[in-house]
Amino acid sequence: MARLASPDTETAAKTPATRRRGELSNLQFALVVTVPVLVFLVLVIAYPLGYALNLSFHDIRFFGGYSATWVGLENYADVLSDERFWNGFLLTVRFTVETVLLTLGIGMALALVVRDLPPRWRWLRALIILPWAVSPYGAGIFFAYLGRGQTGVGTALANALGFDTSINFITQDLVVEFLALGAAWNMAPLVAFFLLANMLTTPPRLYDLAKLDRMSRFETFLYVTLPPLRFTLFVFTCIITVLSIKTFDYIFTATQGGPGSASSVLTYVLYRTSFQNLDLGYGAAMSFYLLALILISTGIIFFTWGRREARR
Amino acid sequence: MTRSRITIWLVLAIAVALIWTFLPMYWTVKFAFMTKPEISRFPPLLFPPDPNLASFFNIFGSDYTLADGTVVPASGQARQIILGLRNSLIVSVVVTAVTIFVVTPLSYVFARMEFPAKGKLLAAVLLSVSLPPVSTLIPFYVLYVQLDLVGTLFGLIIITLTITIPIVAWVMIGFFRNMPPIEQLGRIDGFSRLYIFTRIMVPMARSGIMVASVIAFLFAWNEYVYAQVLVTGSTAVTLPAAMSGFLFQAPEPGHLAASIFLSVLPPFVIAFFLQKHIAEMNFV
Repeated sequence: MARLASPDTETAAKTPATRRRGELSNLQFALVVTVPVLVFLVLVIAYPLGYALNLSFHDIRFFGGYSATWVGLENYADVLSDERFWNGFLLTVRFTVETVLLTLGIGMALALVVRDLPPRWRWLRALIILPWAVSPYGAGIFFAYLGRGQTGVGTALANALGFDTSINFITQDLVVEFLALGAAWNMAPLVAFFLLANMLTTPPRLYDLAKLDRMSRFETFLYVTLPPLRFTLFVFTCIITVLSIKTFDYIFTATQGGPGSASSVLTYVLYRTSFQNLDLGYGAAMSFYLLALILISTGIIFFTWGRREARR
Repeated sequence: MTRSRITIWLVLAIAVALIWTFLPMYWTVKFAFMTKPEISRFPPLLFPPDPNLASFFNIFGSDYTLADGTVVPASGQARQIILGLRNSLIVSVVVTAVTIFVVTPLSYVFARMEFPAKGKLLAAVLLSVSLPPVSTLIPFYVLYVQLDLVGTLFGLIIITLTITIPIVAWVMIGFFRNMPPIEQLGRIDGFSRLYIFTRIMVPMARSGIMVASVIAFLFAWNEYVYAQVLVTGSTAVTLPAAMSGFLFQAPEPGHLAASIFLSVLPPFVIAFFLQKHIAEMNFV
């Protein structure tokens, strides 16, 4: 490094007085750098939250002119006895749990496949990452065409094999599972890359020792490969939980909450309430339940699992 | 790993992984090379029987004559698609540049310096990552109507920054935290904090900054929820908002597939070439 390039500090560091001046400029440095961004961040968090909080205490009507009537906590109470809300809540939980399990499982499988690639084939790793670069709305469109009976791959394959049936994955019973699979398709590559990076830090000697101990492939995976990956798995469980609960554009382009309301997860119910029924106060109250769900689920994951991992 | 032999199982596993990766994309993208009657045929075709590029010409506003002489007319939404492509590029590049410029020093300070309320501010960053866009949409929309920012690129850039800044900050803080404490040495040598940051830390963090740019670009390029509400139908329309016209108002699977194909190309190129660095970012 070009040491002579900063003549002022070169001499300044010698006397205590100027060093103190240096410290001051450090603080200034920190302030100059962080304050504008933090003000921006606080605004973009505080403003919408505050606005929504205010909305949630009102009954907003657009018919016969705009009116906002103060109703206190009524919206919050109403949400709890709303069947659509609970339906959406259960669907969100189901979608989230399935997405997390599928994403981690498939991510792990992908990582194991690309780990064992001989050097000549390593470029395949770059192909495996590609679904991660697809936007959620794009993934929604892909999986809509892939799963529908009319256009889907199931029907095409069944007919190619000589069966004259239509195989539809977007049905009342299967749609959530199918959507979870699509979400896993979208997110698993990132998980795979992080797991792979961690796997490559495990010393090869451990695998030789496992072989000496005559461990089976499964035991080797369980006792050698898996333990160093646990923290990564924990972090991704949190990330995917949050992303799955708050996903909207993916569901929107894939199924629009359908068929019927079979995939109307919470974000979709919220969208319908606020944007189609224009029931803004009620929607705002619902959005706080959604936020609470996100925070509580990550909290649970952290306290039951994360603390143990962090202590290791 | 020492056991990098090619076994039949490895080949099978690779085949499954590749089918898993490409089948969902292929299934929609193949529509771009098919004619409308071919797309709606039942049972659905596995391959385009007679691939043509009509959809790609159509979405850019030109007619296309098939081999048998049929003319496929240009899409009425061509103007929106062209505008969308241009605007998406502008928004993504500006957002990426601003995000990196702002977040690099911010996350350095967060990762390496102690100051009051740091924990709370970090929690605020994480909270804003977990805010669902559907719940912030209405407050932002009302604000934008008042500020006359609906349908402007500037407005969209600002709102996209609210997504990219927290996420990139989160990634970069982890990255800086894991770097060797080299600035102590720099301090002993008498360098100023600014000098250490710009001349030592930033060059050392180059790969982290690259990955952070990729993330910012992807989030900006793929943003749909805000764009759909704020810029659809205006001159500030972005590619995702423009192509949703093919999805809902007048379903055109061929045109939709062609525009999706275009929209995934830039992220693919970037992800393909930077995949080696992706795992270098550190969450928390």
